[in-house]
Amino acid sequence: MYPGVWTTYILILFFSWILVLSVFGCAPGTAWTLVNLGHFAITYHFFHWKKGTPFADDQGMYNTLTWWEQMDNGKQLTRNRKFLTAVPVVLYLIASHTTDYQHPMLFLNTIAVTVLVVAKLPNMHKVRIFGINAGS
Amino acid sequence: MDMALPIVNATATVLARVSAAFNAPLARAVVFGVHIDGHLVVEGLLIAVIVFQLTRKSYKPPKKPLTEKEIDELCDDWKPEPLCPPIKEGARIDTPMLESAAGPHTIVDGKEVVNFASANYLGLIGNEKIIDSCVGSLEKYGVGSCGPRGFYGTIDVHLDCEAKIAKFLGTPDSILYSYGISTIFSVIPAFCKKGDIIVADEGVHWAVQNGLHLSRSTVVYFKHNDMASLASTLEKLTRGNKRAEKIRRYIVVESIYQNSGQIAPLDEIVRLKEKYRFRVILEESHSFGVLGKSGRGLAEHYGVPIEKIDIITAGMGNALATDGGFCTGSVRVVDHQRLSSSGYVFSASLPPYLASAAVSAVNYLEENPSVLSNLRSNIALLHKELSDTPGLEISSHVLSPIVFLKLKKSTGSPTTDLDLLETIAERVLKEDSVFIVTSKKSNLDRCKLPIGIRLFVSVGHTESDISALSKSLKGVSASVLSDYF
Repeated sequence: MYPGVWTTYILILFFSWILVLSVFGCAPGTAWTLVNLGHFAITYHFFHWKKGTPFADDQGMYNTLTWWEQMDNGKQLTRNRKFLTAVPVVLYLIASHTTDYQHPMLFLNTIAVTVLVVAKLPNMHKVRIFGINAGS
Repeated sequence: MDMALPIVNATATVLARVSAAFNAPLARAVVFGVHIDGHLVVEGLLIAVIVFQLTRKSYKPPKKPLTEKEIDELCDDWKPEPLCPPIKEGARIDTPMLESAAGPHTIVDGKEVVNFASANYLGLIGNEKIIDSCVGSLEKYGVGSCGPRGFYGTIDVHLDCEAKIAKFLGTPDSILYSYGISTIFSVIPAFCKKGDIIVADEGVHWAVQNGLHLSRSTVVYFKHNDMASLASTLEKLTRGNKRAEKIRRYIVVESIYQNSGQIAPLDEIVRLKEKYRFRVILEESHSFGVLGKSGRGLAEHYGVPIEKIDIITAGMGNALATDGGFCTGSVRVVDHQRLSSSGYVFSASLPPYLASAAVSAVNYLEENPSVLSNLRSNIALLHKELSDTPGLEISSHVLSPIVFLKLKKSTGSPTTDLDLLETIAERVLKEDSVFIVTSKKSNLDRCKLPIGIRLFVSVGHTESDISALSKSLKGVSASVLSDYF
């Protein structure tokens, strides 16, 4: 809906990779792994953990819905959702390729991408596994 | 330059890797000419899943209406919250009710008691002349004024009252408000806006705090009545701060603090205000008609010319025994409020009989300045008699008509302190027929000063009243506070 959100998202990821590289001075593969893991933590928390809205006058209608479930009014597989599902996968491909599939980083990256992709599947709409995060 | 080098290194490494990957010799198993590594399987799987999802159409998930069973379950689960929360155990709501006028002697629960709970400093409640002027005004104008000042609510007694107060204080003009405490919380937002700086005493009462909150300015509190703290706060705010020169700066103090009985040292405040170029808003509700040789308030008491104080407000419900409030200052100060002060513009004006009562009260004060010395001797007598009360100490100024007693040793929690003091007040009322009150604070009040018993001394109190009070207080506090010396 808003122009440039996708581009901004991609640019934020790219610039955070550069930031990590310049701050830690590590290998580029490690930097991509760090970006991937940071992206995992942040997007999981904000898309799939936090529920409800910051507005008080909708009377708690969305109190049990995570932000991913509220996106586009609950409509599944819209353009936004497809884009946001593709981003972790692309990040995973870049991160695992640049670390040359070495072991501790590959494992963490795979966990990150699996959790994120599964959480974004349309079959998982309003599903709470083992009742985790089911409260309002 | 430091940042550029790692980036250059990084990009060089990436390029080297990519080219190496393309040039690497094929070393693994080859299926149809493509070498298989474990990671390729995972990646292939991921890409397949993603491409599948990307090619599906978007749809809205079907809305399933709730079944009867689910509806019943939800209704059974629902526990409505009460509209108003239940009153907690300790909050006592049975305050004594007065059944006659709040003079020095009043009737509570059918019994006549000595009243130290009303701020009737000049003893004007029940004064003949004031009642006569009220009755005359009632017969001429009726009870209410039926309109705000700007819309047919201005009556000649309002203008008389404003002129009288201005002449009494020596200022060019004054403006009347219809409710005592709404004076200060309309005046402060009329002058202080968002972005201004206000330095206020931390012991100001709730109405002032409300005004500070409504003004949306930046408020910095200084230690209660501590001029060193005020000076350091002013210094910190203005030193080296070029921006502070361009925004409006105010100091808000009360002359006699309702929450502690202290008197603000006006000469020191004016000296600081002139040094750091702030404006002073002085809340004089409890000192107008009390301090100074002829009752003109704190400025006369300290010998400070009245022009040096920018804005003076006062509620008339204390010494003047009427209701409403006034604000005075220069012509510009008063004129600005006629259009910009919410309490003046948007509330009905003061009932005319109260305005004529205020005029008569000020006349009385002008004609009988000796009441002030009588009041001062009453206060001094009370101080002397109460100086050796077990467990309580006087923490107010010697000239303040609000005599504030606080616990010598606090129990540590404000609720137990309040319980002890309330017990003392109840027993003093029940056993010795003396009506005193504690300084209860509302839940909205953010003042952190300790609570205590507040005694309001009036000219109408006789020596026997004062000795009855002191005897009773000493007796009751000895027994109630016996564990807390």
